[in-house]
Parts: sequence; structure tokens; C-alpha cells
Amino acid sequence: MPESTLTCLDFWCKAGSASEATGEEGIAHFLEHMVFKGSQRLGPGQFDRRIEALGGSSNAATGFDDVHFHALVPPEAAAEGLDLLLDLVLEPALEADAYAMERDVVLEEIAQYRDQPDDQVIQQLLTRCCPDQAYGRPILGWETSLLASTPALMRRFHERRYQGSNCCLAVAGALPAGLESRLTASAMAALPKKDVEGGGVQRSTPLRFKAGHAAIQVPRLEAARVLMAWPAAPAEDQLAVMGMDLATTVLAEGRRSRLVQHLREELQIVESIDMDLTVLEQGSLVMLEACCPPDLVEQVEQEVQIVLAAVAAEPIHANELERARQLVGNGLRFSLEAPGAVAGIAGAQTLWGHSKSLLEPLIHLNHWDPETLRTSVFSQLQTEQAFTLVALPGDED
Amino acid sequence: MPLPDLILDPVNTPGVMAAKLWIRRGSGADPDGERGAHQLLGSSLTRGCGPLDHLALADLVEGCGAGLRCDTHEDGMLISLKCRDTDAAELLPVLGWMLSAPQLRPEQVNLERELSLQALQRQREDPFHLAYDGWRQLAYGTGPYGHDPLGVSDELQVLDAQSLRPLAEQLTCHGSVLALSGTIPTELLSGLEDRPAFQSLQTGQGLNQAGPDLDDQCATETFAPQPQGAVSLHPLATEQVVMMLGRPTRPHGHPDDLALRLLQAHLGVGMSSLLFRRLREDHGVAYDVGVHHPARAAAAPFVLHASSSVERARLSLRLLHQSWQELAERLLNEEDLELARAKFRGQLAHATQTTGQRAERRAQLRALGLDDAHDQRSLEQLKELDAEVLRTTAARCLQTPLLSLCGPKESLHTLAEDWRKLI
Repeated sequence: MPESTLTCLDFWCKAGSASEATGEEGIAHFLEHMVFKGSQRLGPGQFDRRIEALGGSSNAATGFDDVHFHALVPPEAAAEGLDLLLDLVLEPALEADAYAMERDVVLEEIAQYRDQPDDQVIQQLLTRCCPDQAYGRPILGWETSLLASTPALMRRFHERRYQGSNCCLAVAGALPAGLESRLTASAMAALPKKDVEGGGVQRSTPLRFKAGHAAIQVPRLEAARVLMAWPAAPAEDQLAVMGMDLATTVLAEGRRSRLVQHLREELQIVESIDMDLTVLEQGSLVMLEACCPPDLVEQVEQEVQIVLAAVAAEPIHANELERARQLVGNGLRFSLEAPGAVAGIAGAQTLWGHSKSLLEPLIHLNHWDPETLRTSVFSQLQTEQAFTLVALPGDED
Repeated sequence: MPLPDLILDPVNTPGVMAAKLWIRRGSGADPDGERGAHQLLGSSLTRGCGPLDHLALADLVEGCGAGLRCDTHEDGMLISLKCRDTDAAELLPVLGWMLSAPQLRPEQVNLERELSLQALQRQREDPFHLAYDGWRQLAYGTGPYGHDPLGVSDELQVLDAQSLRPLAEQLTCHGSVLALSGTIPTELLSGLEDRPAFQSLQTGQGLNQAGPDLDDQCATETFAPQPQGAVSLHPLATEQVVMMLGRPTRPHGHPDDLALRLLQAHLGVGMSSLLFRRLREDHGVAYDVGVHHPARAAAAPFVLHASSSVERARLSLRLLHQSWQELAERLLNEEDLELARAKFRGQLAHATQTTGQRAERRAQLRALGLDDAHDQRSLEQLKELDAEVLRTTAARCLQTPLLSLCGPKESLHTLAEDWRKLI
């Protein structure tokens, strides 16, 4: 990205919450916090101070499948930033005092999350549709598991997961000369290649999805929610993932999508209705969320069912498919402007060996025609295959 | 002026163009008794303009895989278009029509109003939103910045297409700025003024001739909010208490502005910031901490925020207050000052990575009456700001703060009592 004035260094590791064993719940995310508390060489807070003094910034995020740590710096500071980042991630100090203090911060993060009713409803849905699995568990973990955890347990998790074959580094933006050779000589290249668990998240363990229906009452909810979730293909099946992306766009992206047009524009029974595709390694998840007045919940459920049945019964129009192709294609193209976004996509794809070029997923768009979408995708997005959760304002059950 | 004030920012991209049209009429200009009117007008602009009704407009935009939205802020409306360069010629006229020829069909305005009312209600689920609402009320009262741009339910629900028409007619009278960034097709601009969508703007007024269009009370330095140290309490059955503490300060571009931005960087930007170190790393009492200090045409809020569990909230509040007080009482050491400068420089680079960010910043500067080189000049002035300048600026602009709390009722009273002792 020659026009960029920044370089993004993005370290990825197959060490998300799905890598946690029993008793480790929340440790992947807590480790992400602890990494910033210093390394063998860097004291607490020293990394942030040095990166920010270079005019850069840093952050990290833990998902179900993986975790990534990124630093965004001016290109002239990329070499130093790389050394600092790798030192921090690969050699975390995990000192006892810092551990206790940072655990309090994570407990505050959990409390903040619990104070958001919207987040709670989504968590309730995941818990029900992915029971007894990592995808159904909060990434932040539970207070009990965090309070029972120790620096030694975290150290074992780190040693088990942060192996060479589980890690990759993506660099995007302005690429200064010499960075590649610096990387070759870095701690990254020296990582042991052993692969304790065959690549981390076990793709051979497919998502066990449970369909069903439940209603709950949630305090402080101001509008009712109708949520639905469906299982979808795992991330490695890019063709199927792109088909699902097209389908959710046909259904719920833009004023002319089927669900938005029917429920929000014509019937005017929802404030909003969205569908999201979360691409995951063990099996992706499609989620629908409608916000509506509590007395309209039943009608919303019925009308959603009618729209979903219609797209499974008759092929969609050619212009609907073309509209969806444009929106999905541009969604990816438009996301490739900033080094952080490019490094994020490239890092995740490389980590899991999905595709070689950033725009490769777009090739699959042309595979899908209205009839193939109907038989292979829309037929899988029906009410009986979903877990539906209705959340109403009120005191907890 | 014959057209919106036009800014071109060609950048090599893989065929992407962002357009930002800033209209100098925001929620701060909502008429008395019609709070929410400009947001309703802004969202209704995407529901039909020029020859396109709501469906034809959606077909055009979504058919190109483009994005089009209108966001209403306190100082203005921002229409954002993102598209491929090959679609730009077909889509750009829509911006002109939104500004000059909104359809405002009654049924579309009514639908948008109902959606806004529901969104207003749903916002009340968020304790951070409630705490900020309380602070805003304390700080700005019924002034231009005193309400959420979405409006106030009682006033919003009586608005309709007829009440929006006079406001729509005003859109072209107060000047607008159009900024294009990315791959800009050369043929796009030739004869822009001859396009029907832009012709009706020819009687418009240039931005640079227009002063801030906000209530004098809000625009002047002597803006006087509630008594110093006033408190807003919003009881809510949550686990945490959300704390917001701050004051209305200066407009963007004011002589004190750069010093305030450095203080913001010192206090709240990044993991090396004072609040992060003090509340998170030293005491572990909060997860999310920061400083809210947006660029505004008039007295911009400067608000410290944190949220803590009930049992830790008293300590958090003391630490927030201590951090605030120190700004006017102590000099930053040279290392912290240099770090704040580096973060300010970094922020500018971080905030101009995408075509959308670039176009928005360019449009914003002109809309606020600042010249295109404002950011560059700010960078050059950084060295002139020493620790004493920052301290005296804090003493002048950051006097006793106003406090808003949202959380469990019993804890709020304890905290309010603590607060009275602190100040």
C-alpha cells in the first residue's frame, strides 16, 4: 500500500476461547490483557509508551478461534515496533501482582458487558444454540473460572498455544526496506514448530448446533428482540460462505432487501432487522436480530417465517442477486483501504490457510445463481432449522 | 456561491471514491419545541429526492453496491457516499438532489419519525448513554448542544413532513461543503455546475462567508453552564456506576483548542494515557476509561469517563477528580508532554487512513470555518506549547467540573456526598 503513511504489524495466533480446556474458561482473553503488562525485557506499560511515543497505537482482540495483537506505526518505526511486539507477545512476564490487578480489570469488563441488555440477549442465544461448546460460552469467561485461575495456568496455556505452527504475522501499509530480513532474524522465526494439538481449534470437531425456541425476560430492555441463529459452513468452505453472504444480503441488507422491505418499510412492525454472518472455523453462524415493540413479537416471527419460506420456494429475481453481488463485492473492496483492515483480513486468511489473495473470495460470487441459492442456501435458512429466542422487557425469569 | 464549496482529494485506490457533503444545519439549529427536527429531516433525505422516490433511490444506490447515509450531528448534517469510481457519475447527482430537492413525502417522514422514536427509546438501555444525557443537560440545558441529535420524544412525535419543509428550504441557505476523496473520475467534475441536481444550489451562500450559526450563549467563550460542581444522578439497576465528569470548553480552532487536545491526549489517548495507567494499571478499578472531546463549532465538551463496580466506584471517582485537578495545579513533565505531542501527531495520521476519513476531515474543517492547512499548522505549533501553557489553559478552561452518574440508586447518593466533599 505505497500511499499509506502507516505500517500495521499484526500478530495472529490460534489461541481463541475455543482453545481453552475445562478450567481455563476466559484465559485466552485474560492472557491478551496480560501480554500488555510486560515481558521479560519490557516493564508494565513500557510497550504502550514506546509505541505511542513513536506516533503509533496498539490493541488486541480475542475471538472464538484466534487472537491477534496489532501495532500501527509510522514506517520508519516498523522495525523497532516489530521487535517490541514480538517480545511482548512471545515472552510475557505474567507476574503475580500484575495478574491480580489485571484480573480486577477483566472482572470490570465482564460487569460492563453484563450491563448492556443487547449483549446479554445475544449471549443467551449463543448459549442455547451452541450448548456445552466454546462458541456458546462468553469469550470473557466467568468470574468463577477467572478467580480460580493462576499465572501458572496461564503460562501453560501460552506455552501450549503460542507455537510456530499456530502463529502468523501480517504486515500491511507502507513496507519499509529491510523489514523482511528483520523478520527472518526475529523471535518469530525462532518459534518451535511443534504442533501440540494439530493446528489448534479442531476443525474435525464440527459445530453441534441445536435448533429450538425460547422466550426470556430481560431487565432494562426497552424494546423486544426476536433473534434467530442458524449453523453455516465452516470458514474453510469459502464457496459456501460466500453463498451464505449473498443470501443474508438478499434478505436483510438495504432497504430493498426482502426482510427490511417487508417488515420495516411495508408492515412497519420493526425498528430494525439485521442479519450477520460470523465466519468461524468449526462452523459459521448466521444471526438475525429484529427490534420491535413487545406486542408485535408474534407477528414479527410469523412474517419472518413467511419471507424465509418464500425464498426457499421460488428462486429470487436475477436483479436481486446482482444487487447482492455488488453489495458483497464492494463490502470487501471498500474494507481494503486501511492497513489495519488489510492486515486483519490477510492475517486471518493466512493463519487458517484459506486463500492466497485478498479478493479471492469474490471469485466464488459468480458460482451462485438463483436456483443454486434456493436449493443450497435458502432451504437451510428456515425457521425449523433455527434457534429462535424472543427477549421481552421485564424481570428475569 | 454557485455550488457547494468543493474540495478534491485525489488518492490512488483500487477504484474507490468517498464523497462527504457537510450541510451547516444540525441538531443545534433545531427550532424551539422541535428537538429532533434536523435528524428527522436528514434521515428523510435518503427517502426520496429529485426525480427518485424512496424505492428508486434505494434501487440505484444498492444496485451499485454503494453506501449512502445521512448523519445529523450538533453542528451539521453529513451525507456520506461511498462507491466505485465507475458509479460515481451516476450517484453524485443524488447528493445535489438531497440538498436541493428533497421529496419529504408524508408517509416516508412518518415512517422515519416512528423509527427515530423507537431508536430513542432503545438508547435508554445503555447506561453510558444515560450518563452522557445527564451530563449534557447539566452542561448545556436547553441550549443547542443540550439534547441528543435524535431529539426529544415529546417534541419529535408531533413533527411531520409539513413541519420539516421550512427547514428543508433553509438547507441551501447556510452553505455546504462537498469533499471528494479517492479515485475521482476526471469527467465527473467537468460541468458539475451544469448538472440539474446542482443547478438549484446556485443561489446558495458560501460557507466561508457565514459565521457559526449557533445560539450566542453556546458559541461564546463566556458560556456559563450550571453552577460549578453540579451533579446529575440517574438511578439504574446496573452492576456498575458510569461516571462522567467535565465541562463545556472551546470551539475547534479556538486559540485554546490545541492545548486542550494535548491535554486530551495526555489524559485519555492510548494505553499510556494517565487515566488508563491510574485507573486500570495502578488500581484495577475500571475497564473502559477515556476523554470525550469532539470537534465542535462552539463550546465543545471535555468529559472524563469511567465505569466501575459499586464497591470500586468511590475510588474511581476520587481518581477521576484527582486527574482533573492536577491539570491546573501541576506542570506536566517533559517526557509526558513529548508523549502527548507524539500521540497528537499519531492521531492525525491514524484519522486519515481511508478515503471516507480524509473527505470527512476536509469537509469538517471548512464547515467549521477553518482553512485546509489547519492540521498542518497545528503540528507546527506543537513545540510552542509548553507545560505552563497547558497548565494555564487547564486553569482557564477546566474549572470545577460537572458530574453525571448512572448506576444503582443507593450508591449514587454516597458518591454524590463524596463529590460535595471533594469539590
